[in-house]
Amino acid sequence: MLCVEGINKRFNGRQVLSNLNLRVGSGETVALIGSSGSGKTTLIRTINGFVVPDSGRVAIQGKDIDYRNREALRQTRKRIGMVYQLFNLVERASALDNVMSGALGRMDRGIHLLVSTVGFFQKEDRDKAMDVLRFVGIEDKANERVDRLSGGQKQRVAIARALMQEPELLLADEPVANLDPKTGRKILELFLKINVGKGITVITVLHHIEAVRDHFRRVAAIKDGTVCFDGKVDELTGDHIDYIYKSDRNLECAAA
Amino acid sequence: MCSGITAFNIKGIRTALLWAVFCIIIAFSFREAHLDIRTLADGLPYAAALLRDMFPPNFYALEKILLLAAETIAMGLWATIIGIAFSIPLGLISAKNTSPNVFVYTGGKLLVNGMRAIPDLVCALIFVTSFGMGPVAGILGLLIPAIGTLAKFYAEAIESIDTGPVEAVRAAGSHGLSIIRHAVLPQVFPLFMGYNLYMLDHNIRAAMTLGLVGAGGLGFELFRQMRSFHYHKASAILVIVFLIITVIDRLSSYLRNGITDGTFLNSRGRLKDWSLLSVFCLITGLSIFLVPVSLREIVAGIPRIRDFLSGMFPPDFSPIFTDMKLMLETVGMGISGTFIAMLIAVPLGMLSAKSITRSPFIYNITKEITNFFRAMPELMFALIFVAAVGLGPFAGVLALALHTAGFLGKFYAEAIENVDPKPVEATEATGASFLQIIRHAIFPQVSPLFHSYNLYILDRNIRASTLMGIVGAGGIGFELVMSMKLFDYRHTATLMIIILTTVMLVDWASSYLRNKVVA
Repeated sequence: MLCVEGINKRFNGRQVLSNLNLRVGSGETVALIGSSGSGKTTLIRTINGFVVPDSGRVAIQGKDIDYRNREALRQTRKRIGMVYQLFNLVERASALDNVMSGALGRMDRGIHLLVSTVGFFQKEDRDKAMDVLRFVGIEDKANERVDRLSGGQKQRVAIARALMQEPELLLADEPVANLDPKTGRKILELFLKINVGKGITVITVLHHIEAVRDHFRRVAAIKDGTVCFDGKVDELTGDHIDYIYKSDRNLECAAA
Repeated sequence: MCSGITAFNIKGIRTALLWAVFCIIIAFSFREAHLDIRTLADGLPYAAALLRDMFPPNFYALEKILLLAAETIAMGLWATIIGIAFSIPLGLISAKNTSPNVFVYTGGKLLVNGMRAIPDLVCALIFVTSFGMGPVAGILGLLIPAIGTLAKFYAEAIESIDTGPVEAVRAAGSHGLSIIRHAVLPQVFPLFMGYNLYMLDHNIRAAMTLGLVGAGGLGFELFRQMRSFHYHKASAILVIVFLIITVIDRLSSYLRNGITDGTFLNSRGRLKDWSLLSVFCLITGLSIFLVPVSLREIVAGIPRIRDFLSGMFPPDFSPIFTDMKLMLETVGMGISGTFIAMLIAVPLGMLSAKSITRSPFIYNITKEITNFFRAMPELMFALIFVAAVGLGPFAGVLALALHTAGFLGKFYAEAIENVDPKPVEATEATGASFLQIIRHAIFPQVSPLFHSYNLYILDRNIRASTLMGIVGAGGIGFELVMSMKLFDYRHTATLMIIILTTVMLVDWASSYLRNKVVA
């Protein structure tokens, strides 16, 4: 499904990703852990093409991402759903409108492009958006403005927008970091439901080790821009966790 | 689910109705303003000939022009400085939390709104009839609306202060005046300075056009050269006007930014403050030197103002229906001008927003075009269009449209540059194309701001269109000038009542609607 091979990325002279390799099979769920600044977000943004790696390759379903071709990049993005820590919704628009923007990638030709640019959607897309909202459990809030929703509800809208794309791969960057623990758990359960029910591969950055243990089978840890642990959650020991988070803490102390 | 469908339908019907009302209003305004594509087409050859005549600009008497320019700037400075002095007490009594009692508050508020509603050129026109032609009438003309505007800004700033420090100083048993000095003024001072700079910028702009009614400055010379068809001389004056306004605009926004981000007027930047203050004093001294306002001159004019005011009573209501029709034409001009300005400003704003225009070349070019439109006073545009397409509201509408397209283009670009980038990235991540991202991630964020700016400009344009008649560009202004020239002050009174009522109504409606859309 996803194949990341030897990618490097430098930002302002700092090596953020260094020779990072990661393979994810179809239908897997992977939790990415690592201390802040280790390169998790950069990895995620490399996969959906918002960060262009200096070297190395990223392939989806065996096909390399062409970072220089805007149209090809757009076609790749259509197949990848993305969920953010701060939801990234248009706050003034209704939940339904936000969800329907997930269909924009599909409406990219001729009359569909024209109609969607004016601001209209087909009835079948509207029905589909309602279905997706039902799937994430907030169809009763469809016409509510997003800024009136709670954090958990907003994240459900964001997930529905990603599902509207009918993606093969769902990426999430700390999707529960801004939610209380109980709501966060429900959102993680929703990710598993998406994985099992729709067969979508899920890769998510998570901070809470307990939550990772409870919900995921595979965990990949990133430290200093490279994968330092990749395996079953059961194999992740306290020593591993100390190692993953340790030296960076010293670094933070030094910085302070 | 069910409720969702009905909610959607009701929303749909409401949207359709609003669009219908909008279209009817636009169509009505176009008809009132005599907008006709044929007039434009017929005028194009004249406009081209006019442009040919304007080049190259002939700087015939540069010394004289520069002296007049300095006089114009000095008029703006005078009006601002005197305006500030009067506005501080007026602002304090018309703010709810510092006003001594409710009667003073209501009286102050009425006075402020009344002064703000009088267009500056109308005011200058009145003073020209009492004090004669010259810069003194111009300064007084700028002064009245400046006091109204500044006092309103001041009062709003005072009303929005943090009450904590006020209560603390009051708890220490302080006197009312010392509460104002030690708990209110320190909080509002930076805001006040920002407003003062804005007012100065505005007054110098306005002073450029005061000459059109004989109230001194560059405008008079421009009007003279246009009337005698010396277009290459007129264009030289226009170049000077444009340069001055651009410099003042940049300077004022540089100083305003310095005040808001704390580079100026903070406890550590004392040296900078002192140097600013001394420059300010120097400029004030220069303006006193350039435009010596003698008290005797003002005192001598007062009885004539009294004569003018008593001559207005009782107002002559016999031509009221013709006047109202003219006012309708004026409002139609304002609406049409705003609508055309919006149409021009949307591409201008999008192309001059850094966040969506990638080519620095296009970005810079559109930005300069926008600045040019903004810097040329609409009455000067109107003078040119009258020469090109003939007398009548059409020239006025074009002038309003071009000038305010500059404002709207700038506002739109700023709004687009300030959108929250998070939903934009999320929409891009779904694989949406460029236009779709603009429509579904940027437009929903900026639309309330756009509506608010449009309403603000509409309010401003209706006010401005009452003056277009002064240069023959349609509307009620022509009738107003004529009534004053013919000493028919009773008719002037009727026209003033109609103008002020309309301006205040539009002001009220516009701020009511603005509060509704911004949410």
